[in-house]
Formats: sequence, structure tokens, C-alpha cells
Amino acid sequence: MFRLPAGTYFQSYRQAHSFWPTRFMAFRMIVLLIVLFAVVPFTFSNYALSIANRIGYTILAAMGVQLLIGFTGQLTLGHAAFVAVGAYVSAIFTLTAADNASFSPFWGFLTQTGMAYPLSILLACLIAGLWSVLFGLPSARVKGFGIILTTMAAQFITVDFVIAQYVSQIGGRGHYFSIPPGSLKIGGWALTGDRDAYFLMLILVTGVTVAMINWKRTRPGRAWIAIRDNDIAAEILGVDIVRYKLLAYFAAGMLAGLAGSFWITSLFFVSPEHFVWSNSLWWVGVILIGGVGAVDGTIFGAIFLELMLVLVNSFAVANILFLYFKDIAFGLAVILFLLYEPNGLSYRWWQVKNYFYLWPFSYK
Amino acid sequence: MELLLQLLVSGILVGSIYALVALGWTLIYKSSGVLNLAMGELTLVGAYVCLSLYNNWGVPFPVAVLGSLVMGAILGLLVERLVLRPLIGKPVLTVIMVTVGLSFLLRGLVGLIWGTDTVVFDPPVFPAEPIRIGPLIISPVFLGGFVASLILLAFFVWFFQGTRWGLAMQATADDQMAALSLGVSAKLVYAIAWAIAFMAAGVGGIFLGSINGLNISVGHLGLLVLPAVVLGGLNSVPGAIAGGLIIGVLQNLTGGYLDGFIPGGIKDIFPLAFMAVILLFKPYGLWGWVKIERV
Amino acid sequence: MQTRKTLWMMFASLISLLAMLLSACGGAATPEGPAPAAPAEVVRIGSINDTTGPTSDVGKDYALGIREAVAYVNDHGGVNGKLIELFQYDYGYRVPEAITTYKRFRDQDKVVAVLGWGTGDTSALAPTVTQDKMPYVSASYSAELTDPSKTPYNLFFSTDYSTNARAAITAWYEEVWLKDARFESRRNAGDKPRFVAFYSFPTPYSSAPIKAIKEQAELLGFEIGPDQDISLTALDTKSQVLAASEFGPDLVWHGNTTMSVAAALKDSAALELGADHIVNNWGYDENLPRLAGDAAEGVIGIVPSAFFGEETEPGVPGVTMADVMEYAQKYNPNVPPEKRLVRTVQAWGDVLLLWEAMKRADAAGDLSGEGILKAFETLENYDLGLGAPPVTFAPTDHRPGSAVNLYIIRGGQFELLARVDLKERWPELWPTWLGY
Repeated sequence: MFRLPAGTYFQSYRQAHSFWPTRFMAFRMIVLLIVLFAVVPFTFSNYALSIANRIGYTILAAMGVQLLIGFTGQLTLGHAAFVAVGAYVSAIFTLTAADNASFSPFWGFLTQTGMAYPLSILLACLIAGLWSVLFGLPSARVKGFGIILTTMAAQFITVDFVIAQYVSQIGGRGHYFSIPPGSLKIGGWALTGDRDAYFLMLILVTGVTVAMINWKRTRPGRAWIAIRDNDIAAEILGVDIVRYKLLAYFAAGMLAGLAGSFWITSLFFVSPEHFVWSNSLWWVGVILIGGVGAVDGTIFGAIFLELMLVLVNSFAVANILFLYFKDIAFGLAVILFLLYEPNGLSYRWWQVKNYFYLWPFSYK
Repeated sequence: MELLLQLLVSGILVGSIYALVALGWTLIYKSSGVLNLAMGELTLVGAYVCLSLYNNWGVPFPVAVLGSLVMGAILGLLVERLVLRPLIGKPVLTVIMVTVGLSFLLRGLVGLIWGTDTVVFDPPVFPAEPIRIGPLIISPVFLGGFVASLILLAFFVWFFQGTRWGLAMQATADDQMAALSLGVSAKLVYAIAWAIAFMAAGVGGIFLGSINGLNISVGHLGLLVLPAVVLGGLNSVPGAIAGGLIIGVLQNLTGGYLDGFIPGGIKDIFPLAFMAVILLFKPYGLWGWVKIERV
Repeated sequence: MQTRKTLWMMFASLISLLAMLLSACGGAATPEGPAPAAPAEVVRIGSINDTTGPTSDVGKDYALGIREAVAYVNDHGGVNGKLIELFQYDYGYRVPEAITTYKRFRDQDKVVAVLGWGTGDTSALAPTVTQDKMPYVSASYSAELTDPSKTPYNLFFSTDYSTNARAAITAWYEEVWLKDARFESRRNAGDKPRFVAFYSFPTPYSSAPIKAIKEQAELLGFEIGPDQDISLTALDTKSQVLAASEFGPDLVWHGNTTMSVAAALKDSAALELGADHIVNNWGYDENLPRLAGDAAEGVIGIVPSAFFGEETEPGVPGVTMADVMEYAQKYNPNVPPEKRLVRTVQAWGDVLLLWEAMKRADAAGDLSGEGILKAFETLENYDLGLGAPPVTFAPTDHRPGSAVNLYIIRGGQFELLARVDLKERWPELWPTWLGY
């Protein structure tokens, strides 16, 4: 955990358990939230906001990976499949509602009250969660490399086969589902541009971050960590391994569904190409660079990688050969982090914080 | 019937190339426990080096293959020394992800250096005129790839059974501690395993590339190697060879028969789906070691 | 001495990287940086290209052509004196990158028009483009984009894919099936010709004209076999060819880009499929005989403009092939002329079309998206030159033309086989074919 600032001590269990142990920490976070909610959206350009949305999407998607790899120790290389499920469920549900609004009272009601999209998010979370459990089933029998391969198979079966070949045919929309701006509504709030998507993104990211930090302290969270650290020992201590592993898959799938259904707000359409295998690998890279097992690390990793992309894209030669440079930059970043900073950015941040907390008594 | 035979034969011919690459993969896993996800990119590098030597420098084909083998060995040694050795003893995730990082890096570099166009061996190495055996039509390039794979597989078997280095590698794979105490250098064994994997993958890439031309999608082969080794049981050399052949045959059969019923790319997906099923019911493959774990 | 060893290793890896580079000498062509900063008054145009993805076999040449054509436009007065500033980005044929790039054009670079690339991204962006009133001149000639009641801001200079496909199958039927001695006995026996389509199912470019070509096949009395899925980067198509040979086709439609078409042609020859081949325009260029060799003999395909280096009549903009070749040499001297493709000329076609519309819009005093669209719709039988058929954009029909030139490869050379005008041939059906 963290170190307390010099001179601060806990005096009760309540204090030790609290979310923000000191007032200064609470103050710091509230200022950050105010800046993010009230200052950024009105001062930044649309383009900057769209980058912020991409970062938010990466955070949401990588949180599921963090839960599986960082908390439970179940390696996954197919997370994009579940994000895809979420995005497609949400898109199909919303578009169906809009298409049938005029002649079906049920869909009409959903569309008029702006409930179609919020409902589709819930549905997306549920279906993505179940889909994820389906591919988590082999984890009852195999671990390590076997489970990596199963998640990989999930990726190709789901995205390249089921979605690209069959789901894409639903409704005769062709191989991309066009989502005209303004077709996604939450109540009366139409998500028309990057600014609206930004607000939704902030709400979701804040919620998911808080949930992740709290999950770590609940009964399932402790069971997950026990499984990660030593599954056989955990089983001897009475943790129902299979149940908690599947629960982890379900939770991660739900986060993926959430990420997917958010992602369609800042796109004009969904297509299978949004969810190729390299995305899955990319998100594992995010948590590696940020720090495995650290919730704040997910955020740092996402910011680092997305900003790196913006940087790569701003070179003239890289514009024309963008994909190669993207691959090279990602590959180098992952290799260098693993070799030289295996604990990730979150560890670095922890050191920096401690330095200031303990200053000037850093020998404490 | 004719269709079945034709599909079987092309499956075995392509499968022999898969087997070669799968063998390289298994070597690394067997000797150092590294799960290598960069195999596809290794095939790309070898194939492109050979093609450039042949096309741009006018080197005769066998010499070009030799050149790509040498280049592969050097790259394998370098990769092992720079990237993998510092990570000996690190968690599985770290080691896997470093190979993922490597695959992205290599793919980007290959793209940057050679582009994504399909390039063909020019002039063609193998005659385009097909060989007929009864009702079967076999293109010479497949036959060439098959023969080359057989030669290399035989060479590797000899290497493991009959040479000092090979025996050292086997010993390390069997029991690392015992091998170390007998004076086998584990570092050397790992380095040789990577060099061999690069070389095997390179040869596989060359033959796959000379079928219809070479582009970045040849790297997709790296994915097909995984079902092959899972089927064979990860750490079994004969298993990798059999797995490669079976995957090649299965892939062609599904392409020929199932495509009509379940349209759309079933050929590329089937081996992976097959792999998921094997993992569920026979996690240690056909010849893998069953691992018993204790706290 | 650990550090020295590491340094030595790094040096060695650098050397091997250099060796790899050297062995590929003359392989990759790096285009030059963006056009120099323009003086006071500029018009900004965005261009989304694929130079690294699965369609880069044709996309790279197109991207170079765009750059050269814009340079030509700027050397010849720009848009009534205003110079064009070009923003060109690669998106690797990945639709998500196309969105990011489009947002960047709209919000950051503030362009007035976009030169787009693929069918997937163009069709998917169409509702947004319509809402933003952004003229979007694409390299995708999908017929879905030609209905102005749905996608008014999507435009292109060539005949659309569906028109191409209908013309190609008609030409084969009339020039080969009805005339060739090979089919004489079967014709007299009253047999139907047999037809199969090879294309990548999930790729919108490839699947766009399938409905139209099958409709046309039925109209002409073909028997239609099972479609075969071949990916854009396919190298081994044996199982698809074998599956098709079970049906025994006389004619195969190839709906992909050059490299996968070449692979399918080679496998068809190797497995003795014994069918004739017709190819859509992005799969039919100077590279096809190079990649497929003898297997490309007798293959029929659609070419929307003149080949690179082919002599042409100058059109209204007065651009000749000599200009195209001169600018290719001037701006990309490291790509030899024999490596340039018809794609360069197609890029010129799209740029010249947009140039003319922008000139007219500017003369009318309204160089906004709406103004440019209005200017497009004043184009009637406008001759771009460079071997492209004249274009017309009616306010109710954005199909630029109905006449398609079909070529055939004989002895490694392209020869004009036929010119099919669908509007002339089926005047009553032509209006009903709009939009798919």
C-alpha cells in the first residue's frame, strides 16, 4: 500500500479502512475531478476531447484485463472479443429500437423516453459477461498457457468468425453498422459529439475505478488475489476456485461490455475491425506498462500508450507509414518496460508520492 | 473421392511446413519454458531475407536459403541475448508479453523495410507446370517445401540424438538442475534453441512465400503453429511434427467441405476452435507431459 | 564490464538491422514530407490513404498520385488563385483509424473536402459526412454511395462497382460465350454458362457489387454456383478453387485487390479450374501479369482510366499523360516509371474532379461543402481526359457514368476488349439500378 505523510498516524480501524485516509488526499482527488468535469470539456478542442475519449475507452477496456490478470492471475489475450460483443449488442439494440420505433409500442416507448441506449448498456454488460464465462470455462481444467490459448481462440472465433460473418448480417446493414450522430440518447440527452461522449466517459471511468478499488477489498476480491498468489493454497483454505475464477471472468466480461457500449458513442459506426487481436494485446500492454495489479496503473498505462500514438502520428513520415510505426513503438515500449521497469508506471508514481510524503525525512 | 485425395495431399504438403515451424516453437518451449508468440514474425523475417537476396542481389536460390539461415541464426542469438536472457525466471506473463512485444516490433520493422505488397520470387524458383500423379495435381513448390521440410526434420532429429549440443539440449529440457550440475551451459542451450527456431521458421516462411508470393499475411502462420503444438502436447518433438501435419490436413478438409455449409473463413478459424476443444478435453495434448502440481 | 557487453550487443543488433535494410535495397519507397507551407490564401483538403494495410498493393500508388496531382493543381493556378494545402494520412485500411483521421480533418485541420479511400470507412462515414456537409471524394466506387437522397456528399469520378460488374459479365457473355469456338457445342446444346464469385465476404469493397452481378447473371441466363470467400491478403486459395471446381464454372468474378486476385488466378491455373476470369477494377492493373505470370493470360477486367503512360486525348482540364508522368518523376523520382500503376491516373481523376468542382464553387462565391456539392451537380458530360469516360452528376443520380471499358490481357499486354454502355443497352432498367 502507500506510506502516510510524515507525522500522520491512524487512530481507528475506520480510518485505516477509509477510501481516502487523509483530508489532503480527498481534497486532491476532488480538485482533479472538478478539473476533469468542469474545466477540461470547455477549454479543450474537439480533437483533444476525442483523444481523451480514446484514453477513457482504453482505461475501461483495460480494467477488465487488469481484473483478470492483475487480480485473479488468469492471463487473457482475447479481451477484444468481449468488448466487441458489448459494442455489437448495444449497437444492434439501439438501432433496432430506432428502426421499429414507429410501429411497435415497446420499441417506440424505449426510443421516445431515451431509454434504449441505457438499457442496451445493461444488456451489453450481461451478454458480454456470459460470453466471457463461456470461454472462461476451460480455466477450471487448465491454467497458464492453456488459458491464454483459449482466450486467443475466443478472439478469433468471436470477432473474425461469428461477428464478421454472421452478426454483421443482422438487419441487412452490411459489414459496418452505421450509427448516425444523435441516434444514441440517454433520457433527453443526445450524445451527438465528442463533448457529450467525454462526459459519459468520465462518469463511467470514475465509477469503474471506484468499483475496482473497492472490489479488491471485498470477499471475491480477496479470493481472486488468493487464487492469483497460489491457487492450490487458496483451495486448501476453502476458496471455491472454479466459482471465483468464473466470477472473475463474468466481472471482466461486464467491464468489457461497458467499454464496448461506451465506445460506439464516439464512433460513427461499429465494424469488426475495431476489435482485432492486436487490441487485446494492446490492452495487456497497457496494464504491463501501467503496473500489473494496480488500478491506477491501468490509467497511467492507457494515458501513456494513447499519447505515444498521438506523438507517433505527429511525425510526417510516420503519417504515411503510420501502422508500422505504431507497431514498432508499441513493441519497443512493452519490451523496454518489461526489461527496465517491470513494476510499471504505477510503481514509479508510488515512489514519487512517497518521496513527497516523507520529505524531508526520506530515510524513514 | 478425387477431391478428398487432393485435399489430403495438399494438407500434408502444407502441414509439413507447419510441422517445421512448430518444431522450432517446441524447441524453445522445451528447453527454456518460453511460450513464444512471435513465431509468425520469425517466418516473415527469414522469408524476406531470402527473397531479397534472391531478387535484389541475384544470389542463387540454395545460397539465398543458406544466407537466410545464417541471418536467422544471428538474429536468434541476438534476440535471446538482448531480450529473453534478462527475463530468465520471471513470471509467465512477462515472458509471453515480451514475445508479443517482439512480434509487434518485428512486424513493424518488416513492414518498414519491405512494405506490405505481395512480392514473388523472380524468376520463379519452382516451375509453374503442375506434376500429375494419377488424378492428383501437385505443384512443384509444394513438393519442394515437403522435401525441404523432411530434410530439415531429419537433420534436427540427428542433431538431437547424435550430437553433443543436441544431447545437452535434451538434458536441459529433461532436468535443468541435473544438466547444470553436469556442466551444461543453460545459456548456451537457450541461445541455440532460439537460433534454431529462427532458422526453422525462416525456411518455413521461404516455402510458404514461394507458393504464391510473400506478404505480411504469411505471418498468420505463426497462429496456426499454436494449435499444432497444443495438439502435439507442447513439449514433444514428434508431437509437434504430427500436430503440424494434422492441422494442415484438417485445415484443407474444412476449407473443402465445411465452407459450403458454414460460409465465411471457416478455414482460418477451424484450427483455433479445434485447439480450444482439445484444451478442454485433453489439456496435455497427444504426447505432452502430464504435470502434477504440489503446493 | 557488463555495460560494455550490452553496448556491443546493441551495436551488433544495429548492424544486423542495417544488413536487413541493405538486403532490401530499393524496396520501400518513403514519400516526401507534406507540401510546403502555403502563402496567404489556402484551401485545405484532407486525404485518407492506405499505404501500409491489406489494400496497400494499390493504395500506395494512389497516395503518390494524389500528392502529385495536387502539386500539379497548385502549379496551375490552384483553385482560382487559392493554393491547395494537402493533409495526407495513412490509416492502414483500419476503419477505426479512418474515424480518428476524419475527426482530425474536421476539427483540427478544418478541411473543406476529403479524398477518401476504402468502401467500409467511406460508407460508414457517409451519414456523418452528410451531416457535416463535407464533400467526400472516395476511391471507393461503391454503388451504395451514388444515391443522392441518402449520401449526397459522397462522390467519385469512375463508374461504380455494380455498373462495372454488370458490364464485365455482359461483355464476357457477348464477346466470349456467344463468339468463342470453345463453347460452340454447349451453346448449340442450349447449355447455360456457369458462374462463380470469388471475393472476401467481410470486406465491403469486395461484397459491394455481388448483388448486382448476380442479378445481371440471372438476367443473361447464367447458372450461379456457390460463392467462395478469399481474404484480401490470401496466399493459398487451393481449397476455394477446389470447392469451385466441384461446380465447374465457366466464368469467375474476382472481387478483391490485385495480390489476392493474382493468388486465386495462379491456383486456378495450377488446379486446372478451366474457367475464364473477370476482375473488378482494383484487382486489375499492371501488377497482375507481374504477379500471376501466365495465369493472367486472357483475364478480362475493368479499367476506369488510361494506364500509366498510355497516350490519351486531353480533356477539359487539359491534363495529358505527359503531365502525369512528369509530376511522377519530379515528386517521386525514387519510384521508377515502370513500377507506377493505373492507380496514379485514378488518383488524378479524383483530384481533377474535385478541382473542377471547387473552381466552380469558388467562382460562384461559395467554397463551402454545400457550394462544392452544388458545383458538382452542374457537371454534365464533363470530360476529365486521361482516358476516363465523361462524368455527369444529376441532382437525383450521382452515378458518374454508364459506359465501361473492358480490357483483356493478351501476351502480357492490355488490349481493349469492349466498351459496354448499360444505359444504352437497358434504358428502362438503368434508373432502377441506382443505389446498390
